[in-house]
Amino acid sequence: MVQHQSVLDRSFAALADPTRRAILLRLGRSDASITELADRFEMTLTGLKKHVHVLENAGLVTTAKLGRVRHCSLGPRRLDEVTKWIASYQTLLEQRLDHLEAFLERTKGTP
Amino acid sequence: MTRATRLPNATLSTPSDREIRVERIFNAPRQRVWKALTDPALVAQWWGRGNELVIERMELERGGHWRFVEHSPQGTHGFEGRYREVTPPERVVQTFEWDGMPGHVILETMTLEDLGGERTRLVTVSLFLTTEDRDGMLQSGMEQGMNQSYAALDELLARLV
Repeated sequence: MVQHQSVLDRSFAALADPTRRAILLRLGRSDASITELADRFEMTLTGLKKHVHVLENAGLVTTAKLGRVRHCSLGPRRLDEVTKWIASYQTLLEQRLDHLEAFLERTKGTP
Repeated sequence: MTRATRLPNATLSTPSDREIRVERIFNAPRQRVWKALTDPALVAQWWGRGNELVIERMELERGGHWRFVEHSPQGTHGFEGRYREVTPPERVVQTFEWDGMPGHVILETMTLEDLGGERTRLVTVSLFLTTEDRDGMLQSGMEQGMNQSYAALDELLARLV
């Protein structure tokens, strides 16, 4: 239990960012190089590397250099059901608030 | 560990290891935001994120039960919980559970702050009770159920992104 908790705690910070959640989902389909991920998420290499580093520290991603290219893949721990649920919940919450905001905008002027 | 991502009008942070705090500022007076959050006829218009929403129960009082079901072409997802505190027009505390992860209860505290000038800050703090839940689930031998929910979870996650 204690071991599970510490793993979860590290995942929590790693998953707090929508870009990092998207990177994990992308790597769930297939491995990718840093350059491919940066292109996909329209980020600088430096910016993307920072995200990958956080994910690597949480054990969610591993990287390996092959020639000049650094490849990323899902880490040894992968996403278990609980960490997946936390990530999904955050996305749900953000989407709901987006829709609440849009609702308030389009009903402006009503009591 | 505290980490914050700033977006226009929104902040997402993890104030403690088990909490997510999301802050939004709406250009609407507090009474309107309160109504949008608590009037079933209004909730039905946004809570489903664009999907059809059926509000099966919404007993808006301490101890009352709420159950909302989202229907989309990809599937049906039910969410439910109990109200722990309802203080108009300032605060709602409720539990939140998704049918796909039974037993994984999240305690949500929504606080509305009147900023004047027809602006309102909504702060949502979500506390995950996963450790306790997981202990209970392991003891009651519900691991198989967890595995069964895995497929449903993948499906939800695929739909969200």
